[in-house]
Amino acid sequence: MNDNTPNSNEQNSIPTSKVERSAKFVKTGFKIGGNYIKHYSKKLFNPDMDKSQLNEDNATDIYQSLSELKGSALKVAQMLSMDKNLLPQPYVDKFTQSQYNAPPLSGPLIVQTFKKYFGKNPDQIYDKFNIRSTNAASIGQVHQAELNGKKLAVKIQYPGVGDSISSDLKLVKPFAFRMLGMSEKELDVYMREVEERLLEETDYELEVRRSIEFSIACKNLNNVVFPDYYPDLSSKRIITMGWLEGKHLKEFLATNPSQQLRDQIGQALWDFYNYQQHELRAVHADPHPGNFLITPEGKLGCIDFGCIKVMPDDFYYPFFSLTSTNLFDDKEETIRAFRKLEMILPKDTPAQIEFYYTMYKQMISLFAKPYITSEFDFGKKAFFDDLFGFGEKVAKMPEFKQARGVKHFIYVNRTNFGLYNILHELQARVKTNTFKPHVEAEAL
Amino acid sequence: MATTESIQKAYIDYVLTEGQQPKSVYLFAKKNKMAEEEFYRFFGSFDAVEQSVWADLSRKTLSEIRAQEVWAQYSSREKALSFFYSFFELLKSNRSFAVYSIKKHRSLGTPKVLEPTKEIFGNFADTVLNEGIESQELSDRKFFSKRYKDALWVQFGFVLNFWINDDSAGFEKTDEAIEKGVNVTFDLFQRSPIDNLFEYGKFLAKNGGLKEKMGF
Repeated sequence: MNDNTPNSNEQNSIPTSKVERSAKFVKTGFKIGGNYIKHYSKKLFNPDMDKSQLNEDNATDIYQSLSELKGSALKVAQMLSMDKNLLPQPYVDKFTQSQYNAPPLSGPLIVQTFKKYFGKNPDQIYDKFNIRSTNAASIGQVHQAELNGKKLAVKIQYPGVGDSISSDLKLVKPFAFRMLGMSEKELDVYMREVEERLLEETDYELEVRRSIEFSIACKNLNNVVFPDYYPDLSSKRIITMGWLEGKHLKEFLATNPSQQLRDQIGQALWDFYNYQQHELRAVHADPHPGNFLITPEGKLGCIDFGCIKVMPDDFYYPFFSLTSTNLFDDKEETIRAFRKLEMILPKDTPAQIEFYYTMYKQMISLFAKPYITSEFDFGKKAFFDDLFGFGEKVAKMPEFKQARGVKHFIYVNRTNFGLYNILHELQARVKTNTFKPHVEAEAL
Repeated sequence: MATTESIQKAYIDYVLTEGQQPKSVYLFAKKNKMAEEEFYRFFGSFDAVEQSVWADLSRKTLSEIRAQEVWAQYSSREKALSFFYSFFELLKSNRSFAVYSIKKHRSLGTPKVLEPTKEIFGNFADTVLNEGIESQELSDRKFFSKRYKDALWVQFGFVLNFWINDDSAGFEKTDEAIEKGVNVTFDLFQRSPIDNLFEYGKFLAKNGGLKEKMGF
């Protein structure tokens, strides 16, 4: 979840700088003020008018401004309406990015954080510690340090982030009900899923444990490297890890790397994700370009394990049977799988069943394309045009206005589309049969 | 043999156990097996004991932060922040006493027990703010720049009350209150649109007769 590099030009309309973002909020503020004026001037002539029109106006304006601020943690509402429907990746990618619009921590607060958790100043812990941060992470910032001749990266979390997640989500809930026309119960399932993941991200102790687990589990993968972690020098708000040298995706691409090198990185990325999905059944669910570095040796460095999605069997088997077996030949079985995944609901009429069956089949066939052949060229624009085109078509359909599908889709979709998107940017050709889903034995 | 510290300790213990000041210095001295006059050799009253506890804490804070390696690199803003963080970190180990003392002496303006602390704080703030004005980190404004330290002291009082009512784990909310509050205060000390507005006003005033020129 590092840095704020916009990762594609589709995001031209997203206000990226802080100034723009706050300007956005100011504008909303004016609008809401305007709504009040509208309300009270109308009320002058019609004293019986209640506030519902006003609330409606406010909700619409707030929601609109949130939609333009793709990076905000408040994007849950949009996530729900879009993620379900295979939507243009730039949106999906942007919104759970949960960027906190926090100013950098002051030097004394950094010292204070260290004193609180270790009882020492940073310069008593490390041989060298740079009090000015080098990078912003999504919920904290990164400092360079040195200990026993080793260069370290020290990630420090902003205070109060956990609280602000819960309160942000509470804030967005009423709007989400209204805008999505979902019942509280329906929505809650998704909200809780998002809240759980976001809160996990704030638990740095958990992150260190997972980082170590995952880097051990994935250590045999070709061309994938991880920093060392120092649990003794980490705490609830601080993570100490080795400093990985390397370039972010954007910078890497700017060096005009050879096709072979791009394929190599792409393959590493593919293997990393598919090994996790199919062998570990738990996956780094944040394929944001900022979470990866490309080392000078041409390896893929993964530097952030804040967001992990565990895939339970009752999701894994039905979902990957759809993508990786010939299940689609059997309509009855396919519908059964859709029902298990709550893409077709018990109350649906036969006409609805037919409709969703056709649409989801199309959608998943499209999604599974890279898995069907043993090699796939992610540089091909046609595939992505199809994908986005389909997503946009679906977004306009009233049938897809409500969220469908089990809660696990939120993060699994985000992971896979994020992965496709990075591979597309890399223009990589990837062998897609390296780690295959284990579903053959488990036929439905 | 009594010392300042031993009397402070015994006094804190007494008020926290009994919930109130001892009835008289005589009783307090007797309970602690010393002569009444010995108490007076160190302190004039019980309130003076409380004042000294607070003042000692702020002096200790100052010597701690000044000993930090990064101190010299800090800007004025950071020095002030550093004082706030370290003071409240130290105060943690005396939280019960601090809560008792502030609640008991609650008043409009500065409570009596904090008067010596205010002086120490004021001296510190003066130094730090002057440094900031000299380095042009802060804006030198006629009349107002002399009041900067009062604004900081108000901030201090605010954070202290916030901390007393803070029930978040590790007083994390107080950290946030410091970070945000002190930064806002310093933002106001810096050159801002208000200065420009003020200067513009001055310019217009000096170039008087505008009304006629503009034909109003």
